[in-house]
Amino acid sequence: MTTPAVQRAVDAAFREEWGRVVATLIRRTGDWDLAEECAQEAFTEALRRWPVDGVPQRPGAWLTTVAGNRAIDRLRRGARGAELLEQAGREALPRSDTNEDAMPELFDETDEIEDDRLRLIFTCCHPALPLEGRVALTLRSLAGLTTAEIAHAFLVPEATMAKRLTRTKGKIAAAGIPYRVPPAHLLPERTAGVLAVLYLMFNEGHSASSGTELIRAGLCDEAIRLGRALQQMMPDEPEAIGALALMLLHHSRRHARVGGDGELITLEEQDRDRWDKAEIQEGLRLLELVLHRRQVGPYQLQAAIAACHARAASAADTDWREIAGLYALLEARMPSPVVSLNRAVAVAMAGDLEAGLAIVDALSGEARLERYYLLEATRADLLRRRGDQAAAAAAYERALPLAPSEVERRYLSSRLQEVGGSSATATTPNS
Amino acid sequence: MNYLLFIWADGMPAPDELAVLQREIPGWVEEMDRRGVRLLGRELDLPETAATVRVRDGQTLVTDGPFAETKEFVAGFDLLECADLDEAIEVAAKCPISWIQQVEIRPFSDGLRLGAQASAFGRGEDGAVSPYLLSMWVDGTSGPPPGDAAVLREGEAWRQDLVARGIHVLGNPLGGTDTATTVRVRDGETLLSDGPFSEIEEFIAGIDVVSCADRQEAIQLAAAHPIARYHAIEVRPFYSE
Repeated sequence: MTTPAVQRAVDAAFREEWGRVVATLIRRTGDWDLAEECAQEAFTEALRRWPVDGVPQRPGAWLTTVAGNRAIDRLRRGARGAELLEQAGREALPRSDTNEDAMPELFDETDEIEDDRLRLIFTCCHPALPLEGRVALTLRSLAGLTTAEIAHAFLVPEATMAKRLTRTKGKIAAAGIPYRVPPAHLLPERTAGVLAVLYLMFNEGHSASSGTELIRAGLCDEAIRLGRALQQMMPDEPEAIGALALMLLHHSRRHARVGGDGELITLEEQDRDRWDKAEIQEGLRLLELVLHRRQVGPYQLQAAIAACHARAASAADTDWREIAGLYALLEARMPSPVVSLNRAVAVAMAGDLEAGLAIVDALSGEARLERYYLLEATRADLLRRRGDQAAAAAAYERALPLAPSEVERRYLSSRLQEVGGSSATATTPNS
Repeated sequence: MNYLLFIWADGMPAPDELAVLQREIPGWVEEMDRRGVRLLGRELDLPETAATVRVRDGQTLVTDGPFAETKEFVAGFDLLECADLDEAIEVAAKCPISWIQQVEIRPFSDGLRLGAQASAFGRGEDGAVSPYLLSMWVDGTSGPPPGDAAVLREGEAWRQDLVARGIHVLGNPLGGTDTATTVRVRDGETLLSDGPFSEIEEFIAGIDVVSCADRQEAIQLAAAHPIARYHAIEVRPFYSE
């Protein structure tokens, strides 16, 4: 077999199997670091052996066996201490054969291995862990991203991320966080927690930020991949399907939402031909499937809103009345000023500009929106649509210093110029 | 695993809150004792009854009052024996204190040492002696790091000595702040946050309960602990009716 073909097989196995191998090893050894290191060694071993022996029929089983043997070796060495380590060098320790036919019990526990991956995701996303640690550990243990990759994605030094991972794993062990799928009475709440971590991961990747586009796109891919895995593991969980549909529908617009110069393009102005049709189809199909179950939740509602946009052939065809209704349902289930702000836009776009502006005005005193640039940006946009240029310009100017990234600042500046304001406050002095 | 449930009060509860606590706490105690997850618990006397002990250059320095002069204070604790953190969280969330104020769960890093007098102490049967809580307040910036092996060894020798003298009721070092979980219940929803409740830099690295003739003896015992040389130990009596 050619080396590139083997490399591809190993890469594919890495994406498919990393989480399973790590998850099973954690269950057997209780040691997260050991599990990661041995999984890494198994993949290195695959690169060495597969070109010679061929790619095994069940790569996951092969990798789990090799990683398991490494773990056994290390644990034995650790237990016997330094003195016995020398002996171990002379007489090789008996190890399991990595010929899968010779490995009995490992391969009969496919269900158990699938459960391991669920145990792993629920443990990584345990609500007693720091939120940043949950996201990082999920990316490390389940998705197999390196510490350096995760650090890049979150724009922190690698040492900071390494510390965060160590601290998170440390709490799991020291505080006695169980390695398990939560019992039935905890499951709904904990599942919501897992979905929140995946959606946070997705949004981190989706939010526009210059320079790190590629790495951030990787976060979206991982979140969707994990979302798919979770949906397979929990086929009866409607919100898992809703979250996956939501991520797919948002992701379908990724090529259209940023222009050639990195500028932000609003939904209204996006070239809809550049939307990913396959992702839209999959998202719509999942959503339709899950809405039939009549167990609606916040992710399904948000996906339904995204679906309204996805189905509209042009911005003018958007069913804003439907969207406003969906936001009202979402607001009732998940009261949040950000949801109300979105409802304001939908109400205005559905034809009642004044009612939309009234909702925005009512949100003005909201402390949680004080530093949220979209409050003023939304007000500005609605005022602009009303033809109130001066008031719109003033609102854009208030939004500008609050915008979180250069992409958003540039968008606001260009709007500000359109309504006749000066964007002097936005341009950084030449250095 | 053994966990310590710190009862953190932020000020005195309002009269209606106090009524809820008085009505609901006995049921919680009864249920958790029956299940065997709660070993014992006691309410502390108010913070102003505390003394803070430091030893510097061989001199014992005692200041009146609690170590942390914050609005929040530890009002008591419960000791748990749970399968894992999920069970400890469940016990904590059912504790009526967490509905109004909050509780902090900390694992004992090396298990809990319970002396022969522990159960009588739990029942509030103190007899002729008085129990005192010694809280080891550590800051992460000076002295040997928390968990320093030499300090732990010396602390253990100190404890052994107290056990031999029959005055050690219970206690052991706690897991660090990285292992803490704070629990609140609001509108029926259990809210967890990672880390200790108090946001001050110093934290309680361990507790011991000693039974003493008087406050002076408790202060002397605290002064003999290695943490007093590097950090500070708060000595506080328990509430008794």
